[in-house]
Amino acid sequence: MAIITLTAADGSEVQFYDELKAAGAMKDVYFSLNRDYVVAFYRNPADAAVEERLSVITGIYRERIFNQAGGDYWKKVFCWPTTTVKYREYIGVVVPFYSDDFFFKYGSRNEDMLGIKGREKEGKWFTSPSNRSKYLDPRELGNWLQQLKICIMIARGVRRMHAAGLAHSDLSYKNILIDPSSGRACLIDMDGLVVPGKFPPDVVGTPDFIAPECVMTAHLKRDDPARKLPSIATDEHALAVLIYMYLLLRHPLRGDKCHDLNDTQHDDELAMGAQALFIEHPTDDSNRVRPENIKPAELPWKDPALIPYTITGPYLTELFQRAFIDGLHKPAARPTADEWERALVKTVDLLQPCANKSCEQGWYVFSNQTQPICPFCNTPFVGKLPVLNLYSSHAQGNFRPDNHRLMVYSGQSLFVWHTNRDIYPNEKLNDAQKKRVGYFVLHDNNWLLVNEGMPDLLDVKTKTPVPIGGNIALTDGLQLLLSKESDGRLVIVQMVGE
Amino acid sequence: MTVKRLPVYLLLDTSGSMHGEPIESVNIGLRAMLSTLRQNTYARESVFLCIVTFDSKINEVLPLTALDQITLPEIVCPPSGGTFLGEGLEDICARVERDFKQPNGDDEGDWKPLLFIMTDGKPSDTMVYEEVIPRIKALPFAAVIACAAGPKSVPDQLKQLTDKVVSLDTMDSSSFSTFFKWVSATVTAGNENGEVANTSNSRELPPPPPEVQIVI
Repeated sequence: MAIITLTAADGSEVQFYDELKAAGAMKDVYFSLNRDYVVAFYRNPADAAVEERLSVITGIYRERIFNQAGGDYWKKVFCWPTTTVKYREYIGVVVPFYSDDFFFKYGSRNEDMLGIKGREKEGKWFTSPSNRSKYLDPRELGNWLQQLKICIMIARGVRRMHAAGLAHSDLSYKNILIDPSSGRACLIDMDGLVVPGKFPPDVVGTPDFIAPECVMTAHLKRDDPARKLPSIATDEHALAVLIYMYLLLRHPLRGDKCHDLNDTQHDDELAMGAQALFIEHPTDDSNRVRPENIKPAELPWKDPALIPYTITGPYLTELFQRAFIDGLHKPAARPTADEWERALVKTVDLLQPCANKSCEQGWYVFSNQTQPICPFCNTPFVGKLPVLNLYSSHAQGNFRPDNHRLMVYSGQSLFVWHTNRDIYPNEKLNDAQKKRVGYFVLHDNNWLLVNEGMPDLLDVKTKTPVPIGGNIALTDGLQLLLSKESDGRLVIVQMVGE
Repeated sequence: MTVKRLPVYLLLDTSGSMHGEPIESVNIGLRAMLSTLRQNTYARESVFLCIVTFDSKINEVLPLTALDQITLPEIVCPPSGGTFLGEGLEDICARVERDFKQPNGDDEGDWKPLLFIMTDGKPSDTMVYEEVIPRIKALPFAAVIACAAGPKSVPDQLKQLTDKVVSLDTMDSSSFSTFFKWVSATVTAGNENGEVANTSNSRELPPPPPEVQIVI
């Protein structure tokens, strides 16, 4: 097979087989000799604006993200083009090859009846309940904890781009690869990113993820001041839709309301645009999903009455309300990627493993009720469940609630971001901070906290220190000081159940 | 009861060179700061924010206002215009000199104020800028944080003003929150240092579970 050799804009040598391996909406993709990168050529001849945009994306924007704090972490989250090449009048981007985790290892059921083994794990495969129950090999599916982890990675990646003033412009389940079996996600197609007022978008986005204001103004000319183009605010809409879809396997706006009986295209424009309405809107029930329209393979996910969005817990519930009720038609009210990341990370602390070993989701969010029950398989929690309420001190040594709870289960870990308010789990953690400082275990019918790395751990009421290597039984009302540092946390234990 | 205020001054560059990603980054930074403050009960009670922008003119966007009364405006910048950072800082000095409440008898006064400057760091009024630096340093700021905005920002000149120069694109709500300290508080040191004998359990604990890493 013919090999093409080119010198890239950064001076490196780029070699690829002259064989079209994949074709996207705007680009044709060729593979390097040992599949460590691909070269994606724009089908339209390059113009100066595209060239300039690609040069800053592969240059200064890339360097700023990968060469500052947490840079290595972003290599996992972004598949970012490294340089550009020119071949005849065409411009191409050189992009690292996707990690092996993002290609189907098992594919579909019945010895891969769909023949998808080895294909890319586009997020779209995993958001359809019938795909999951009928086609995908169960080993590909992961569980709810991993879906949550995927959402954290996506929100974190979007947060980083937005902090740099960059918008992705086409966030969707087609432009994010996910690996539910390991809980990883990777943002791709970064060459389309947009800088408001500087680099306009190439595309309007992917249907189902386009913000209502863009759908409503899509008929206007690009340079019309009333036309709304992809931006950070529209990314924030797409991100909320993605998180909703990954956690609840349905679209937040696709209910059964009919907006135009005679014209399906116009009906869709209204449903996603001017008249977009949350299917779980608390007071307007006109866009509810009608149970009679749901196929059995789509249950229970497709029916919000069975799995309402509130099963995602208090922190995410509030953000879904802001995204789909207050902010659906008011872009400035939408939650930021930073807020999603925070809420998702805090929600991990509310998870409980399901007592039913064959529960497909395996984990669920504690509902703040005294008799917890898994919303996916309806198995109740049995036994005593300690809940840790986190407090921290700001001034004058008094401790105030942080609106942050930690559910205990056997094997649950305590980290420095629990013991200190100023430490936050993200790309900036150092290796020492990633290490567990304690864990919980049910032993002789007692819930114990075993201290592995908290030199200051203290039972506040009895003033008894719990040394490293020691442990303390959790009882209702117990107050533990986790750290004496100025931003150290105090926990108060509540016992639930029995 | 009068609240003890934590005044927070934000001085934002809206000069021509901030057009594009730097000003977007500033807006995202502001929203991150607001969201972290709103989640903090202490901040909700005590933080007062003031926002001033500078280009060729100084513009008050928000006078010193209690956190719960703030609706954040979008900060926009004209396509061209000078970078009057020095004059912007003079304006901040005048505000602090006027508004800061010193402790006075029973009145505890304010917490020491914070100043955040978001700019790409190229003042066009260098003379004024250099003259105002000692004035800023003489004021009772708990901290002055310069956030360098945009890929072409030049942090060097900002280092004359403060040693806390951060890159705005690496900031998020949690990194902003670490700057919020209620500084005049006295920290009471713990006095529990007594060693307690490690009473070994009669029954052995099962081995520790493998470490679980979910959020990273």
